[in-house]
Amino acid sequence: MKAYLRLKGLIKKTDHSAYLFILPGIIIILMFVLYPSIWSLIASMKDLKPLALRNSGLFELPGRWIGLKNYVLTFNDPLFQKSLLNTLYFSAIFIPLTMFGAVLLAVLLDKGIKGTGFMRTLFFIPYVIAPVSAGLIFMFIFNGERGLINGVLNLLNIDGPGWLTSTKLAMPVIAVMLCWKQIGYYMLIYMAGLQNISLSLYEAADVDGASELQKFKMITWPLLRRITMVVFILLLITAFNVFQEIFVMTGGGPADSTITVPFLIYNQAFKYYHIGKAAAMSYILFVILVIIAVMQNKLNQRKLDY
Amino acid sequence: MKKKTDLFWKILLYIIAFLFLVPLYWLLVSSVKTDIEITRFPPTLWPEEVKLGNFIYIWHYLKFMRTFFNSVLVSTSTTILIVFFSTMAGYAFAKKDFLGKNILMVLLVGTMAIPAAVRLLPLFFIITKLGMYDQLIGLILPFGVTIFGIFFMKQYIEDIPDSLLEAAKIDGCGEFRIFFTIIVPLLKPATTALTIIEFTNNWNSFTMPLILLKSPEKFTLPLRVGMLSQRLVEMSWSQIMAANTLVVIPIIIIVLFLQKYFIKGIMAGSIKG
Repeated sequence: MKAYLRLKGLIKKTDHSAYLFILPGIIIILMFVLYPSIWSLIASMKDLKPLALRNSGLFELPGRWIGLKNYVLTFNDPLFQKSLLNTLYFSAIFIPLTMFGAVLLAVLLDKGIKGTGFMRTLFFIPYVIAPVSAGLIFMFIFNGERGLINGVLNLLNIDGPGWLTSTKLAMPVIAVMLCWKQIGYYMLIYMAGLQNISLSLYEAADVDGASELQKFKMITWPLLRRITMVVFILLLITAFNVFQEIFVMTGGGPADSTITVPFLIYNQAFKYYHIGKAAAMSYILFVILVIIAVMQNKLNQRKLDY
Repeated sequence: MKKKTDLFWKILLYIIAFLFLVPLYWLLVSSVKTDIEITRFPPTLWPEEVKLGNFIYIWHYLKFMRTFFNSVLVSTSTTILIVFFSTMAGYAFAKKDFLGKNILMVLLVGTMAIPAAVRLLPLFFIITKLGMYDQLIGLILPFGVTIFGIFFMKQYIEDIPDSLLEAAKIDGCGEFRIFFTIIVPLLKPATTALTIIEFTNNWNSFTMPLILLKSPEKFTLPLRVGMLSQRLVEMSWSQIMAANTLVVIPIIIIVLFLQKYFIKGIMAGSIKG
């Protein structure tokens, strides 16, 4: 009977060799991706003492269950509120800047202007530079006393500000730095998307006498919407993970104006040993990320249905 | 009319390209300036005196040979593990049926969105309890596979026709012979792309070395260079830029040589994904 069902394709044959192939990868993922994620979730609901943790086993988390107390503490922490606003502020600059910049570059390079192969490489190079190096380079360029930017402004008789020592300007400078570093990657994704748009659509638009801007609005941008949704999620994850740039460029200052949530989590965990609180913060960050992602997905899905 | 708009786009593109070059130009130019010239304001756009002394100073300061070796060791070993284990797992997910396959796939996709900050502290404890704290192996083994890598390879392996595998099976090829003599050779463009993507990520990694290493003689290049940001009072900017040049140049050279695979890998991955 079993053989008969198998013949008809009703039961698929489990291929036991599959387990051998996935074994090394799955062990690493269970141990160093999944288990740490669960660890943090449990830790966020416990009163964990660093000392007890030092003597505990690999798979035990000592400490009293305290329910959602760490979450309440975190939400009432003014520094956390500030860091969350900072992260959202950073995202609000970084995501549109990088997304529209990447579309613009992709469209420009798609026009087949001379030297685009070289330029594609040029725009892509910053992506492979170490984030700490990119941070240090921009720190020097935007230095208030001897930076290049203020040097150029000086030639125009403008007294340049101390960019990274200003509570208003430091975050935008970091966003511009990360945009410079990341834009090439998203440009490539958009270029791949453009190659999939049929040329006949543009030809038809040309016959109707459409302008460049109209063609972009009516054809290019709507047909790139699926890619834009993916790009948005990737940029959101990037923006919610900003840590090393802050560590190198500002250390969270001036006056806490560049403390992001990941930077605060690092400080809470490794400087003050507030383990439960750090874990709670990280899950709040995750939940907010998921909420934003789902919301934009819903909004875009409605548009895609037309 | 059409000519005019084309010219406008052309100029715009050249301006953006120029702006993109500025930070790289400034990095190289500043790294050869003297300590006095680097403090001048407004800065000189071209060095009055080219001085390679910064590189000699920073070479010793970073203990370059040792640090460079650590970076090469960690990045190469991790990348080899990632490519190997991701290809194996990707093959099973693409071509085999097994119990729990769908659950595992959902699990992998789900964990992809979890911010790295969630895992930072537990990873520190887990790796410490496994006795790998302040050891280079602690930066290699726990990061020896990536979910991105598994999905990346899975997409490519799905394109290999089943008939090819069935034919090999009929000829009496064993599972592992099929994998190594048929699958792996066909995947060369994909494995090259994954290799260079993962090598770049590991070469540039700062956060994990920061929390997992303590002894300076085990530090990797980005960790040492990132730490210079805490020493801005005693270092000159020309020295800091020289240090960054040493980190940035190797990876740019590698990428320029292999950019065809890198760029194709990203573009192909984005469409299929």
